[in-house]
Amino acid sequence: MNPLIVEKVVKQYGDKTAVNGISLEVGKGEIYGLLGANGAGKTTTMRMVLGLIYPDGGSILYNGKPYSTELLHTMGYLPEERGLYPKIKVSDQLIYLAQLRGMSKKDADKSLKYWLERFEVPEYYNKKVEELSKGNQQKIGFIASVIHSPQIIILDEAFSGLDPVNVELLKSTVKELRDNGTSILFSTHRMEHVEELCRNITILHRSNAVLQGNIKELKKQFPREKVIISTEQEVSGLEQISGVTKVIRHEYGYELSIENESVGGDILRHAMNQSEITRFEIKEPTLNEIFIKTVGDRNE
Amino acid sequence: MNSFWTVVGFTVNNKVKGKPFIISTIVLALLISIGINLPYIITQFGSSENAAKSIGFIQSTSEELTLGTSTAQQLKAYFEGQESPAIKLVAYEDKGSAAENDKQLKQAINDGAISGYLDFGAMTESGFPEVTYKSEKLMEYSLTNSLQNALTLIRQGTILQNAGLTQEQMTMLNTPISIQSMQISATEGAGSIGEGKSIDEQGMNMGLVYFLIILLFMSVMISGQMIASEITAEKSSRVMEILITSVAPLKQMFGKIFGMFIVVIIQVATYVLVAIVNMNLPHNVETFASFNINLSDVDTMLLVYSLIYFLTGFFLFATMFAAVGSIVSRTEELGQAVMPITIISLGGFYISIFSISTPDSMLVKITSFIPLFSPFVMPLRLGLADPPVWEVLASIGILLVTIYFAVWVSAKIYRTGVLMYGKRPSWKELRKAMKAYKV
Repeated sequence: MNPLIVEKVVKQYGDKTAVNGISLEVGKGEIYGLLGANGAGKTTTMRMVLGLIYPDGGSILYNGKPYSTELLHTMGYLPEERGLYPKIKVSDQLIYLAQLRGMSKKDADKSLKYWLERFEVPEYYNKKVEELSKGNQQKIGFIASVIHSPQIIILDEAFSGLDPVNVELLKSTVKELRDNGTSILFSTHRMEHVEELCRNITILHRSNAVLQGNIKELKKQFPREKVIISTEQEVSGLEQISGVTKVIRHEYGYELSIENESVGGDILRHAMNQSEITRFEIKEPTLNEIFIKTVGDRNE
Repeated sequence: MNSFWTVVGFTVNNKVKGKPFIISTIVLALLISIGINLPYIITQFGSSENAAKSIGFIQSTSEELTLGTSTAQQLKAYFEGQESPAIKLVAYEDKGSAAENDKQLKQAINDGAISGYLDFGAMTESGFPEVTYKSEKLMEYSLTNSLQNALTLIRQGTILQNAGLTQEQMTMLNTPISIQSMQISATEGAGSIGEGKSIDEQGMNMGLVYFLIILLFMSVMISGQMIASEITAEKSSRVMEILITSVAPLKQMFGKIFGMFIVVIIQVATYVLVAIVNMNLPHNVETFASFNINLSDVDTMLLVYSLIYFLTGFFLFATMFAAVGSIVSRTEELGQAVMPITIISLGGFYISIFSISTPDSMLVKITSFIPLFSPFVMPLRLGLADPPVWEVLASIGILLVTIYFAVWVSAKIYRTGVLMYGKRPSWKELRKAMKAYKV
């Protein structure tokens, strides 16, 4: 049984439906991506999983059991807006939060030191949160969500506001947690992170799950409509090949939009007649394209 | 239960270690020290304050002034005959005209030789001429009063002497009569049952009641604000979202309230300690010994009841402050939101303080049953009047029931409010949202 099963949850605020019958399952050692435009219902879904708000319909099971206060110790949460006391020392508040989640003071201190060391910021131990930069506060917030080694971690926009180096640091940490068997529910706007980290995703749009499933499977559902070709010499007449709808010239070569995959062969043959080819790829759609396509279609 | 104490510890730790707490405690402790030492300081500086006030008058043999002069002379003799006179009369020579005399006396006031002067008019039925006291200050009632008393006594003396009374008889007439008052209970009172209270005990009780009422008011004001603003701060910094996913909201709320209670007790204990130390300083001992403070005069039952009211009152107000703090999203809006509670506690406080001389009035009787007022008002009745036991128990009962409901509603509001952002929710929205949560 999967550690986290969300089944057809519904949440209404007044007349507005914030989440309309979303189901998802997060397995042990899996990172599950929750995507969606702003206001799509990601945070509401996460809050329901956390037990912060109760669903109006549907159910959420944790290791097969419904929500209870005992679960609190096994969950970690990083809210979108940090969620730290600005005027209190890092060590004081993280140890406090860890204690609230059932750790002893000594263990919490040890764990905190380990994590600070790991993020290469041991000097923050005695600093107040308001003295730290936004990105570093984010790191501290992240530590707060994992300090007690939870089984289920919920990360709301975990990588926002971080520089590339720190994004890598956090990503590798998240992967390590995953490999240690933690179930992670993860929301973001950044598709490249999702492609790298998540096995399964749900794309939310206006309170509904519009696309759901394994990333690889999803990609197969979408036709390959792009060809990238890099050549030694210039190639002319690409536009004339039947099935090619658009040609864009880049410095590295050409990007062609095609009607279906079979056109690919024609393009390759055409180009080979004129030049050496250094690269030829019928690209699978990026998640970004899938996202824009799914969400964008419905906007019209 | 464990996380409850973690919350308590965290709350206390952060408050007590915080600069604002330390600074405000030190400032107030200093003020208390100054206040207590003030009587001593005044005696050091103001020895002249106790000296007799000099009042000028014109001494003249001219016809129009002779009446006034003789009255003034009588007053002068009267005050000189006293052991430590409050007033001293100083004679000035007649300069011939009223305007000149005025000028001379005003000059004397300017020079600081006298603080005012007497002006006499036509003869009145009282047997003395019309007397006007002229000075730069308004409302010198105590001075005019002592002049009035002096004149009354002088007249009495003259008349009695003329009537042929002996000196002994006159002394007897002037001996003050004192009346002792003792409060007894006609029914089975809840105070000191059937014992009655002597003046000293009453004084002590009044002191205790005052002390506890002020203490309650201060604690409610200080900690209420702190509780509400801490919760709002946690909410606006979104720590709340993490907290709620870590501890049950109820534990969290009461952990905070209890923590603040400890903080307030620490603060108050500091003040009391500072006060006691100051009162026991060698130069202050004498001053306070004359106040007749004797703690053994305190009625134990009164103490017990007062403490019950103190604790319940504190708890009730603190819960309400917590609820309000959880509704507001930003600290700037907090002041406005807590206003109603502040006004209610002020109301209770003032009813109690201003009814100290009428502890039996209808207002006091009624408000001693109204939950938010009773913690302030009932101790007053207990200390100074003698309410029947059933009334006290009924009042405590009503208070406890109210607390139960306040806790229930506040916990619901808290659980709901802490996740509502944006504008302050209307009652309707709040009620609707509250239905969603089991507490």
